[in-house]
This record gives sequence, structure tokens and C-alpha cells, in this order.
Amino acid sequence: MHNQIASTLNSKVPGANAQALIATIGDSSVLVEAGKILDVCKILKSEGFNVLQVITGTDYADRIEVTYSLADFTSNREVLIKVKLSRGDGNGNNKETLPKLDSVSSLWRAAHFQERETYDMIGVNFIGNPDLRRILCPDDWTGYPLRKDYVVQEKYLDMVVNPAHKVNTEDHMFGKKLKEQIGDPKKVSASWKDSSGGNADEEAKDGE
Amino acid sequence: METIHLKKNIEPELTLGQWFRNVYEAIKSTAIGLSITFKYVWGKDVVTIEYPEVREELPSNSRSRLFNDAENCISCLQCAVSCPVDCIYIAAVKRPTDAPKMKTKDGTPIRLDLKQYTIDTALCCYCGLCTTVCPTECLTHTTDYEYASYTLASMKYDYLAPDIRAWRTRIVKS
Amino acid sequence: MSGGHHEENAEEKILLGDMEVLKSDLLTLNMGPQHPATHGVLRVEIKTDSEIVVEAIPHIGYLHRCFEKHAENLDYRGVIPFVDRMDYLGAMNMEWGYALTIEKMLGTEVPKRAEYIRILVAELQRIASHLLFFGTYAIDLGAFTPFLYAFQDREQILRIFEELSGARLLYNYIWIGGVWNDINDSQLARVKTFCDEFELNLKKYHDLVGHNKIFIGRTANVGILTPEQCYDYGATGPVLRGSGVKWDLRRKKPYGLYEKFDFDVPVGTGVKGTVGDCWDRYEVRVLEMFESIKIIRQVLEGIEEGPVMGKVPKIIKVPAGEIYLKTECPRGELGYHLISDGGKTPYRLKIKSSCFTHVSMLPEMAPGQMVADLVATIGSIDIVLGEVDR
Repeated sequence: MHNQIASTLNSKVPGANAQALIATIGDSSVLVEAGKILDVCKILKSEGFNVLQVITGTDYADRIEVTYSLADFTSNREVLIKVKLSRGDGNGNNKETLPKLDSVSSLWRAAHFQERETYDMIGVNFIGNPDLRRILCPDDWTGYPLRKDYVVQEKYLDMVVNPAHKVNTEDHMFGKKLKEQIGDPKKVSASWKDSSGGNADEEAKDGE
Repeated sequence: METIHLKKNIEPELTLGQWFRNVYEAIKSTAIGLSITFKYVWGKDVVTIEYPEVREELPSNSRSRLFNDAENCISCLQCAVSCPVDCIYIAAVKRPTDAPKMKTKDGTPIRLDLKQYTIDTALCCYCGLCTTVCPTECLTHTTDYEYASYTLASMKYDYLAPDIRAWRTRIVKS
Repeated sequence: MSGGHHEENAEEKILLGDMEVLKSDLLTLNMGPQHPATHGVLRVEIKTDSEIVVEAIPHIGYLHRCFEKHAENLDYRGVIPFVDRMDYLGAMNMEWGYALTIEKMLGTEVPKRAEYIRILVAELQRIASHLLFFGTYAIDLGAFTPFLYAFQDREQILRIFEELSGARLLYNYIWIGGVWNDINDSQLARVKTFCDEFELNLKKYHDLVGHNKIFIGRTANVGILTPEQCYDYGATGPVLRGSGVKWDLRRKKPYGLYEKFDFDVPVGTGVKGTVGDCWDRYEVRVLEMFESIKIIRQVLEGIEEGPVMGKVPKIIKVPAGEIYLKTECPRGELGYHLISDGGKTPYRLKIKSSCFTHVSMLPEMAPGQMVADLVATIGSIDIVLGEVDR
């Protein structure tokens, strides 16, 4: 089915460059050129995909992928359409530095909220969305939380995030102190390495 | 600004017959409702429990306050690893080889001396993942549910402290 | 602004002569975040012209708990307590969807008995969730007693769940590969007696509320949604079915053992007003409860002996790939879009929540309604803010 959709898209949208990514495990998808997403979706809607279910943004080290899950509620089909974008600069709160993608909210109004969420969480600037504001985070939030390189703010509106007096350093550091006391760190196993990380996996192996 | 109009319902014109039918339906549906209500007023027993006087016994596998039987703990850290909110803090030291051999209730040898076993109950989400991975079944959910307290610090349970170990007789059903 | 709906009135215009029609301005009302009729922390910014809603803008995010971010740092088992907390009124269905997603990627086979138990608890949960809708919707519209009746029966279900899983609301019961605890015969017998009693009660409740003249007056012909609007916004579940579309994933894309079961998919018929109005959505949910009872009875007949947990590796590593899997939850379709890179934690877990979609329909439904009807409309789409904000 995906190959067929890809060939239809290639014939109807010049430059769509649609490729079917056939997966052996899980769902297959169709990769299209990011600039042509609106035209591709127009064709798909006329092919019968009348419902836009979800827009997922995923952050990879070198790119951002936006996946559109379309469904046809009359003949019970589903397809995942994927586009690849550059990552842009997601550190500040500036829409202009973000990767740009055409909005499909003129085709499905479901896209309006979904695009707002993707903008809020991943940082993709959907051109043509009627009201592209943050939706889950406050309007003055900086950064895009679901990016892999997102760093938790130190301060938000004069409120300190994770203030020292609320962090349970005493218990977190107990294991570390114990190691210093005993002198031989191999003899001690603790669930918390230090106050910054909660990675207990390696330690657990020692314990077993 | 464009004018907004009230979305009018398309309703048939009210005839005299329809008016009487409306009155009849209103009285009928209210009567049905009232009869059900009165059945409940006199025909049903009280279902609520007057809490502080009457306390409900929770089912035996109910997930409430956590308790760790520190004597049976082998410090395997599996509970701390599986905890999705990372609220279990454990530290243990290897037992010297010449120390007397210790065993848990079910015969698993204890190779580590437990130095710290603290659960921050204020963070706990009572999901029960820690108790299911426990190999010696020393960490259990008890059915004790009345432990609200005034400070966050008092929600931190150090299961090696004598005052918290003293709960055992009260809250753990063996 | 020249005054709203006055303008049409020719007589009024003559009386006022050349003078501009009485100046009126839009009044901005904030409904929520603390409002009993928004069922949680939803804020709807309403612009009203006298008593008529001109615009309604939903503001969400007050209950955002970053579950998608959390999931990226947790092992696959550890995510289950978090998905519980999304739709806390349909926690079993949330877990089931998640477990199915992982099982499909892993290729795990779930034992027959576990499948039956899953259907049993999911349908009980559906009843519990719809009962809560029934009660709170009646409260929204000014009837208090039905709420208490609904909670009596819901309590029975929660008791069964408490014995089964140990918790009343957030169960962590359906695990990857099966279910946590086995169900015993006395619990099955309790489910059976519950079904018998509840079926009679539900008929009574439906008479008490659904056929009440005032209730019909408040809900019929209010908040009408056409199937086209539903498709446009991606509405699912009882909202879509209320508009007369026979779309139920348990029938259209059967998961679990639903194929084997005999049940109907109730749709809105417009009996009291127009197809797709609030009354239809209410009725669809009540009828679904009857269907759920039917399914539970079939489970009780067909349940087989055997293990309740399949073979799952101790440390779950989902093979690299992606999957979008959706299940039918009490409030609509819940979709999990899992992207895995082969590691111990999900690389990305996007949750498609039906309530999120339904909230986005408010700006479409609200304009032209009375403010009081907006309450009926919000109630009828039955949102849980935990699922909206995740």
C-alpha cells in the first residue's frame, strides 16, 4: 500500500520525492519532501484520507522528523507520512530560527491544535497556522522541552527551578559519602551515584 | 465585527395539542424520577461509611504504605532501579568474608550490609513495581492507609531507624 | 460595533432613527481554570454578546505533567504508572493501549486468560468512566441525585478493581505480556452479580435522567456536530458515534479478542432533537454501558484457565522502528506513536489523546450558543484534563 501511495504522490506532486519506508517491525511510512507537504496532503485528502489523527515531532541529533498519521474512516486505512527538517536553533524563544514547515490546518482543522503542540514541544514553525502559540507550556517559556538537548531552565519568572533546599541531597549523597568513608568504592553499592543523576543501572549490576 | 445570531432550533409550531402533550410528558417524567428517588429514600440501606468511627478493612493486596523488612533485604537494588520516580535510596557495604554468614527468611544469603534504606513516601506513586521485583519479598505494600503528616521530612521513611521498624507489628500482616 | 443581533430588527432601527443602535461591547468571561463544569483545570475564554457566546477559546496546559518527556527516561515497564495518570478515569484502557503497542513491537503472545481478563477490566472501566460522565453531566445541568446513584455503582467496580490490582484509581494492572494478578472465582461471581444488578439500575437511571423533560430541554438540539465536522477535527469515540457514524475500533480494527464478541455499536439517532446533539452523545454512552455488560457476560462465560503472564524478557528492549497503534477508550481513540531506537527506553512516545482533539472542537461548537448551553456542550464531550494535557 505504501509503495502505491508513494508512486501516486510522485506522479501527482512534482518534486515530492516520495519514498516508501517499508518496515519489518512496526508500521511502514512514506517519506516526502518537507517543502511539498501541503501539496502531498491535498492529494492524500482527495484520495480519501479524511482524518488527521496526530502530528508527531521527533528530535534526532541531526534532524527533526515530523510524522503525520492520516486515516481514512470510510474505507478503514491508515498511513504515516514523514518529513525531515533541519534542527534550526531551538534554544531561545524565537520563531524565526526554527525549522519551517507548511501548515496543513487549511485541510484538516485537527491540525491546528496538533501543530501548536508540536511547535510547543519540538519547535517547528508551521507557516500558515492561524494561531501558532504555545499550548501546553506558558507563553513565556523558553526552549522546546521535547528536544533531546533541552536544558531545564534555572529560573522561571523569578522562581528558582529545583531550589537546593528542596533537593534531598542528604539521601542522594549517602552512598557517595559511604564510599569515601570505606575507602574502597568497589565494596559499596548505592542506588544514587551523586546528586545530579538518577542512573542506578550500573550500580545495580554490582549489587547483584 | 460580524453579527452573531443565536443558533435557533428548528422547532415545530406549538399547537394546543402539543402544549398539552408537553405538560403531560413533563409531569410523567418528573413522576418517574420522583418515584425512583423515593424508592431510594425508604427502600435502600445507607451505603456510606462514617469514616473515623467505622474504618474500612482494605483488601489484602491493597497498595498502601510501603514497609521494608530490613533483615531480609539483600540490597540487590532492584526496587530502586524499577522505581519510576526514583524515590528509593539504598546504600550497602560488602560484608567481610570472615563475618558470620547471614541468611534471609527464605534462605537467600546476605552478602551486603545494608547501611541506608530510605523511601521518600512523599514522592512515591504507589505503582507497586518495586514490590513485585523484590526477590526476597521483604519490601511490601501494607494495608495501612492513615499516615498523613505535617511535614515533608516526616514522609521520609528510614527503614533502618528503630522507630520506623517498630511499625512492623502494627502494619505488617504476616 | 453596531449592536449584534439588534441590527436585524427593523422596528428598533426606526425607533432609534439615525442614532447608532445601542452601543454594546463584547464581554469577556473566564470560565475556569477553577470551574465545576469544566471537569478539571480547563480555562475557556468566552466572549459574550449579552447571553450569547461569540467566541470560545480553550486554554489548556494547567495539568501538563510532561509524560512524554518522562517516558523518554524510563524503562518500558516504568511508563505504565504514568500512562495510568493520563486519563485517570479510564486507567485500565490507557494501560491496555500501551501494553498492546509494546507487545506488537516485541511480538509477545499474550495468554488467552489474560486477554479475557483485559477485556473484562477494560469494559468494567468503560462502565465506571461512563457512570462518572452520567453523574457529572447531570450535575452540570443541575441534577444532583443521579451523581450519587452513579457513584454507588461505580464504587462496586472500584472495589472489584481494588481487590484485583490493589489500587482504586491508578491500577498498574495490565502489564506488558499479560496482567499482574489472576482473577479468582469469587471475584468473577461478584462481577456477575454486579452486572445483573447494574443492568436494572442503569435502566432506572436512564429513565430518571435521559427521559426527563428538563434534561431533554437542556440537551436536545444543543451543540450539534455533523459527521463532516467530526472528521475535520478528528473526533472519535462517543462524540463521533453521537453524530451517527458507526465507528468503533473494537469492530473496525479489533484488538485483543474483541472479534469473537457479539455486541452492537450504538450511534446517535437524533430521537429527541437533531443527530449529533448533546442528548445523542449522552445516549450513546448510556447504551455503550449496556453493550459493555453484554461483553462482560460473554467474558464470564468464555474465560479459560491458564497463565496470565506471557514470556517477556526481564529487560525489555524494543527493536528499532515505529508504530502507531490506537485503541478504543471510554472517551475516544487513544493512540500511541512509539519510536524506538532499540534501547531500554522509548526514544519518543507521542500520545494521541481524544480529549485533546475534543477540546479543540469547542471554538467550533460554542459560537451562537447561550452560556448555559456551553456548559452542556463541554459536559457532553466528556473531557478529562489529565488526558488533554498529559
